[in-house]
Amino acid sequence: MKRIDFVMVLRIALGGVFIYAAVPKIVDPVAFAGSVAAYRILPYFWNYVAAAVLPFLELICGVLLVLGIRVRTGALIIGALNLVFMVALASAIVRGLDIDCGCFRQGGEKTTPWLALARDAVFLAMTAAVLRYERLRAG
Amino acid sequence: MRMRSIHPLSEIALVVLLAALIGVAWNKTLLTDAWRGETRHAAVVAPQPAQAAEAVPMPVGLAQAKDLHDSGQAVLVDARNADSFVKEHISGALSLPLAVADRKKPPLPKNVTPDTIIIAYCNGFSCHDSMELGKILIKAGYRQVFVFEGGLPEWRDAGYPTAGGAS
Repeated sequence: MKRIDFVMVLRIALGGVFIYAAVPKIVDPVAFAGSVAAYRILPYFWNYVAAAVLPFLELICGVLLVLGIRVRTGALIIGALNLVFMVALASAIVRGLDIDCGCFRQGGEKTTPWLALARDAVFLAMTAAVLRYERLRAG
Repeated sequence: MRMRSIHPLSEIALVVLLAALIGVAWNKTLLTDAWRGETRHAAVVAPQPAQAAEAVPMPVGLAQAKDLHDSGQAVLVDARNADSFVKEHISGALSLPLAVADRKKPPLPKNVTPDTIIIAYCNGFSCHDSMELGKILIKAGYRQVFVFEGGLPEWRDAGYPTAGGAS
Protein backbone atom coordinates (compact mmCIF):
# COMPACT_ATOMS: atom_id res chain seq x y z
CA MET A 1 0.00 0.00 0.00
CA LYS A 2 1.28 3.42 -0.87
CA ARG A 3 2.07 5.77 1.96
CA ILE A 4 -0.59 8.27 0.89
CA ASP A 5 -3.25 5.55 0.95
CA PHE A 6 -2.10 4.41 4.34
CA VAL A 7 -2.33 7.89 5.83
CA MET A 8 -5.73 8.35 4.22
CA VAL A 9 -6.94 5.13 5.85
CA LEU A 10 -5.55 6.32 9.19
CA ARG A 11 -7.27 9.68 8.81
CA ILE A 12 -10.65 8.20 7.93
CA ALA A 13 -10.37 5.58 10.68
CA LEU A 14 -9.49 8.23 13.27
CA GLY A 15 -12.37 10.45 12.13
CA GLY A 16 -14.71 7.46 12.19
CA VAL A 17 -13.68 6.58 15.75
CA PHE A 18 -14.48 10.10 16.92
CA ILE A 19 -17.86 10.17 15.14
CA TYR A 20 -18.62 6.76 16.67
CA ALA A 21 -17.62 8.12 20.09
CA ALA A 22 -19.69 11.29 19.72
CA VAL A 23 -23.08 9.87 18.72
CA PRO A 24 -24.05 7.96 21.91
CA LYS A 25 -23.00 10.96 24.01
CA ILE A 26 -25.15 13.31 21.95
CA VAL A 27 -28.07 10.91 22.27
CA ASP A 28 -27.74 10.57 26.07
CA PRO A 29 -25.97 13.66 27.44
CA VAL A 30 -27.14 12.99 31.01
CA ALA A 31 -25.40 9.61 31.09
CA PHE A 32 -22.26 11.21 29.65
CA ALA A 33 -22.44 13.97 32.28
CA GLY A 34 -22.47 11.15 34.83
CA SER A 35 -19.34 9.65 33.30
CA VAL A 36 -17.62 13.04 33.37
CA ALA A 37 -18.74 13.61 36.98
CA ALA A 38 -17.30 10.24 37.98
CA TYR A 39 -13.81 11.64 37.28
CA ARG A 40 -14.47 14.21 40.00
CA ILE A 41 -12.42 16.88 38.23
CA LEU A 42 -15.02 19.51 37.32
CA PRO A 43 -17.54 21.27 39.55
CA TYR A 44 -21.14 20.01 39.31
CA PHE A 45 -22.48 22.34 36.60
CA TRP A 46 -19.36 22.11 34.42
CA ASN A 47 -19.80 18.35 34.07
CA TYR A 48 -22.97 19.14 32.16
CA VAL A 49 -21.27 21.83 30.04
CA ALA A 50 -18.50 19.38 29.12
CA ALA A 51 -21.11 16.72 28.36
CA ALA A 52 -23.00 19.18 26.15
CA VAL A 53 -20.06 20.52 24.15
CA LEU A 54 -17.42 17.76 23.94
CA PRO A 55 -19.45 15.32 21.81
CA PHE A 56 -20.13 18.00 19.19
CA LEU A 57 -16.45 18.89 19.09
CA GLU A 58 -15.66 15.20 18.55
CA LEU A 59 -18.34 14.96 15.88
CA ILE A 60 -17.23 18.04 13.92
CA CYS A 61 -13.55 17.06 14.01
CA GLY A 62 -14.42 13.46 13.10
CA VAL A 63 -16.39 14.66 10.08
CA LEU A 64 -13.55 17.00 9.02
CA LEU A 65 -11.08 14.10 9.12
CA VAL A 66 -13.35 11.66 7.28
CA LEU A 67 -14.15 14.16 4.54
CA GLY A 68 -10.57 15.40 4.34
CA ILE A 69 -11.57 19.03 4.89
CA ARG A 70 -9.39 21.24 7.10
CA VAL A 71 -7.57 18.11 8.19
CA ARG A 72 -4.89 19.90 10.15
CA THR A 73 -7.41 21.78 12.29
CA GLY A 74 -9.47 18.65 12.93
CA ALA A 75 -6.39 16.60 13.76
CA LEU A 76 -4.92 19.26 16.06
CA ILE A 77 -8.16 19.47 18.07
CA ILE A 78 -8.47 15.68 18.21
CA GLY A 79 -4.85 15.47 19.37
CA ALA A 80 -5.52 18.05 22.08
CA LEU A 81 -8.70 16.24 23.16
CA ASN A 82 -6.76 12.98 23.34
CA LEU A 83 -4.16 14.62 25.57
CA VAL A 84 -6.89 15.99 27.86
CA PHE A 85 -8.54 12.56 28.03
CA MET A 86 -5.21 10.94 28.86
CA VAL A 87 -4.50 13.42 31.66
CA ALA A 88 -8.00 12.80 33.08
CA LEU A 89 -7.56 9.02 32.87
CA ALA A 90 -4.11 9.20 34.45
CA SER A 91 -5.49 11.32 37.28
CA ALA A 92 -8.25 8.74 37.80
CA ILE A 93 -5.62 6.00 38.01
CA VAL A 94 -3.45 8.00 40.42
CA ARG A 95 -6.44 8.71 42.67
CA GLY A 96 -7.45 5.06 42.58
CA LEU A 97 -10.89 5.77 41.09
CA ASP A 98 -12.58 2.61 39.89
CA ILE A 99 -14.67 4.18 37.12
CA ASP A 100 -15.75 3.52 33.57
CA CYS A 101 -13.84 5.58 31.04
CA GLY A 102 -17.11 6.84 29.47
CA CYS A 103 -15.29 7.11 26.15
CA PHE A 104 -17.82 5.49 23.84
CA ARG A 105 -21.17 3.90 24.71
CA GLN A 106 -22.36 5.10 28.10
CA GLY A 107 -23.07 2.41 30.67
CA GLY A 108 -22.81 -1.28 29.85
CA GLU A 109 -19.47 -3.04 30.13
CA LYS A 110 -16.83 -1.11 31.96
CA THR A 111 -13.62 0.01 30.25
CA THR A 112 -10.87 0.45 32.82
CA PRO A 113 -8.80 3.66 32.82
CA TRP A 114 -5.64 1.68 31.93
CA LEU A 115 -7.19 0.19 28.80
CA ALA A 116 -8.65 3.56 27.81
CA LEU A 117 -5.26 5.19 28.32
CA ALA A 118 -3.59 2.65 26.03
CA ARG A 119 -6.31 3.15 23.43
CA ASP A 120 -5.90 6.93 23.57
CA ALA A 121 -2.15 6.53 23.08
CA VAL A 122 -2.88 4.66 19.83
CA PHE A 123 -5.27 7.42 18.70
CA LEU A 124 -2.64 10.01 19.55
CA ALA A 125 -0.06 8.18 17.43
CA MET A 126 -2.57 8.04 14.55
CA THR A 127 -3.18 11.80 14.94
CA ALA A 128 0.56 12.46 14.87
CA ALA A 129 0.91 10.44 11.65
CA VAL A 130 -1.96 12.35 10.00
CA LEU A 131 -0.50 15.71 11.09
CA ARG A 132 2.98 14.77 9.89
CA TYR A 133 1.67 13.80 6.47
CA GLU A 134 -0.36 17.04 6.28
CA ARG A 135 2.75 19.04 7.06
CA LEU A 136 4.79 17.23 4.38
CA ARG A 137 1.99 17.74 1.87
CA ALA A 138 1.61 21.42 2.69
CA GLY A 139 5.35 22.05 2.92
CA MET B 1 -6.75 23.74 -5.58
CA ARG B 2 -5.74 25.18 -2.30
CA MET B 3 -8.47 26.51 -0.01
CA ARG B 4 -8.17 30.01 1.33
CA SER B 5 -6.27 29.70 4.56
CA ILE B 6 -7.15 31.30 7.86
CA HIS B 7 -4.66 31.42 10.71
CA PRO B 8 -4.58 27.87 12.17
CA LEU B 9 -5.35 29.09 15.68
CA SER B 10 -8.35 31.09 14.48
CA GLU B 11 -9.60 28.05 12.65
CA ILE B 12 -9.29 25.92 15.80
CA ALA B 13 -11.05 28.62 17.82
CA LEU B 14 -13.84 28.75 15.24
CA VAL B 15 -14.42 24.98 15.35
CA VAL B 16 -14.43 24.98 19.16
CA LEU B 17 -16.84 27.92 19.20
CA LEU B 18 -19.12 26.20 16.71
CA ALA B 19 -19.14 23.01 18.81
CA ALA B 20 -19.86 25.04 21.93
CA LEU B 21 -22.74 26.89 20.29
CA ILE B 22 -24.34 23.72 18.90
CA GLY B 23 -23.74 21.82 22.16
CA VAL B 24 -25.25 24.50 24.35
CA ALA B 25 -28.21 25.04 21.99
CA TRP B 26 -28.84 21.28 21.70
CA ASN B 27 -28.74 20.78 25.48
CA LYS B 28 -30.35 24.05 26.55
CA THR B 29 -32.93 22.48 28.84
CA LEU B 30 -30.45 20.12 30.46
CA LEU B 31 -27.98 22.93 31.11
CA THR B 32 -30.69 25.19 32.51
CA ASP B 33 -31.78 22.42 34.88
CA ALA B 34 -28.21 21.70 35.91
CA TRP B 35 -27.60 25.38 36.52
CA ARG B 36 -30.73 25.63 38.67
CA GLY B 37 -29.62 22.51 40.51
CA GLU B 38 -26.37 24.23 41.38
CA THR B 39 -27.94 27.48 42.50
CA ARG B 40 -30.67 25.57 44.30
CA HIS B 41 -28.38 24.87 47.23
CA ALA B 42 -29.33 28.07 49.04
CA ALA B 43 -32.96 27.31 48.41
CA VAL B 44 -32.58 23.88 49.98
CA VAL B 45 -31.25 25.39 53.18
CA ALA B 46 -34.01 27.99 53.21
CA PRO B 47 -36.97 26.06 51.79
CA GLN B 48 -39.18 27.85 49.33
CA PRO B 49 -42.80 26.75 49.15
CA ALA B 50 -42.78 27.77 45.49
CA GLN B 51 -41.60 24.30 44.60
CA ALA B 52 -45.06 22.93 45.33
CA ALA B 53 -46.18 24.34 42.01
CA GLU B 54 -43.46 22.50 40.08
CA ALA B 55 -44.06 18.92 39.07
CA VAL B 56 -40.42 18.07 38.42
CA PRO B 57 -37.94 17.61 41.29
CA MET B 58 -34.75 19.61 41.07
CA PRO B 59 -31.35 17.94 40.93
CA VAL B 60 -28.82 18.19 43.76
CA GLY B 61 -25.15 17.38 43.34
CA LEU B 62 -23.00 15.04 45.39
CA ALA B 63 -21.72 17.78 47.70
CA GLN B 64 -25.19 19.11 48.50
CA ALA B 65 -26.58 15.62 49.00
CA LYS B 66 -23.73 14.83 51.40
CA ASP B 67 -24.21 18.08 53.35
CA LEU B 68 -27.94 17.53 53.73
CA HIS B 69 -27.40 13.86 54.62
CA ASP B 70 -24.77 14.62 57.25
CA SER B 71 -26.66 17.50 58.83
CA GLY B 72 -29.79 15.37 59.06
CA GLN B 73 -31.75 18.00 57.14
CA ALA B 74 -32.81 15.58 54.43
CA VAL B 75 -34.24 12.09 54.18
CA LEU B 76 -32.70 10.05 51.38
CA VAL B 77 -35.01 7.62 49.62
CA ASP B 78 -33.76 4.78 47.46
CA ALA B 79 -35.91 4.28 44.35
CA ARG B 80 -34.37 0.91 43.39
CA ASN B 81 -35.98 -2.43 44.11
CA ALA B 82 -35.86 -3.98 47.59
CA ASP B 83 -33.17 -6.55 46.69
CA SER B 84 -30.75 -3.88 45.51
CA PHE B 85 -31.50 -1.88 48.65
CA VAL B 86 -30.68 -4.86 50.87
CA LYS B 87 -27.40 -5.43 49.03
CA GLU B 88 -26.20 -1.85 49.35
CA HIS B 89 -27.67 1.58 49.93
CA ILE B 90 -26.62 5.00 51.14
CA SER B 91 -26.40 4.73 54.91
CA GLY B 92 -29.52 6.04 56.59
CA ALA B 93 -31.58 5.93 53.40
CA LEU B 94 -35.12 4.62 53.29
CA SER B 95 -36.22 2.08 50.71
CA LEU B 96 -39.08 3.22 48.49
CA PRO B 97 -38.97 1.24 45.23
CA LEU B 98 -40.55 3.11 42.34
CA ALA B 99 -42.81 0.12 41.62
CA VAL B 100 -44.25 0.35 45.17
CA ALA B 101 -44.67 4.13 45.18
CA ASP B 102 -46.32 3.90 41.79
CA ARG B 103 -49.17 1.71 43.07
CA LYS B 104 -50.23 3.42 46.26
CA LYS B 105 -49.57 6.46 48.42
CA PRO B 106 -45.81 6.46 49.07
CA PRO B 107 -45.43 4.61 52.41
CA LEU B 108 -43.00 6.95 54.15
CA PRO B 109 -42.69 7.04 57.94
CA LYS B 110 -44.76 9.55 59.95
CA ASN B 111 -41.75 11.72 60.76
CA VAL B 112 -41.41 12.57 57.06
CA THR B 113 -43.70 15.57 56.76
CA PRO B 114 -44.65 17.48 53.60
CA ASP B 115 -41.93 19.99 54.45
CA THR B 116 -39.17 17.45 55.00
CA ILE B 117 -36.41 17.69 52.42
CA ILE B 118 -36.48 14.43 50.48
CA ILE B 119 -33.68 13.39 48.16
CA ALA B 120 -34.44 10.52 45.79
CA TYR B 121 -31.65 8.51 44.22
CA CYS B 122 -31.12 5.30 42.27
CA ASN B 123 -28.34 3.81 40.14
CA GLY B 124 -26.78 6.99 38.84
CA PHE B 125 -27.16 9.24 35.86
CA SER B 126 -28.50 6.59 33.48
CA CYS B 127 -31.23 5.60 35.96
CA HIS B 128 -34.46 7.58 35.80
CA ASP B 129 -36.37 5.89 38.63
CA SER B 130 -35.34 8.55 41.15
CA MET B 131 -36.72 11.29 38.90
CA GLU B 132 -40.00 9.36 38.50
CA LEU B 133 -40.18 8.73 42.25
CA GLY B 134 -39.52 12.42 42.86
CA LYS B 135 -42.47 13.35 40.65
CA ILE B 136 -44.73 10.91 42.52
CA LEU B 137 -43.62 12.34 45.88
CA ILE B 138 -44.34 15.89 44.72
CA LYS B 139 -47.78 14.78 43.54
CA ALA B 140 -48.33 13.12 46.92
CA GLY B 141 -47.89 16.51 48.56
CA TYR B 142 -44.22 16.55 49.54
CA ARG B 143 -42.96 20.03 48.86
CA GLN B 144 -39.18 19.70 49.11
CA VAL B 145 -38.27 16.90 46.76
CA PHE B 146 -34.90 16.68 45.05
CA VAL B 147 -33.09 14.12 42.95
CA PHE B 148 -29.48 13.14 43.47
CA GLU B 149 -28.70 12.07 39.92
CA GLY B 150 -25.25 10.66 40.63
CA GLY B 151 -27.00 8.15 42.89
CA LEU B 152 -25.38 5.25 44.70
CA PRO B 153 -22.45 4.88 42.23
CA GLU B 154 -21.26 8.47 42.68
CA TRP B 155 -21.82 8.31 46.44
CA ARG B 156 -19.88 5.04 46.74
CA ASP B 157 -17.07 6.24 44.45
CA ALA B 158 -16.68 9.30 46.65
CA GLY B 159 -16.00 6.95 49.55
CA TYR B 160 -19.09 8.04 51.46
CA PRO B 161 -20.78 5.59 53.83
CA THR B 162 -23.08 2.91 52.51
CA ALA B 163 -24.88 0.12 54.34
CA GLY B 164 -26.14 -3.28 53.38
CA GLY B 165 -25.03 -6.87 52.86
CA ALA B 166 -22.64 -6.35 49.93
CA SER B 167 -19.08 -7.30 50.67
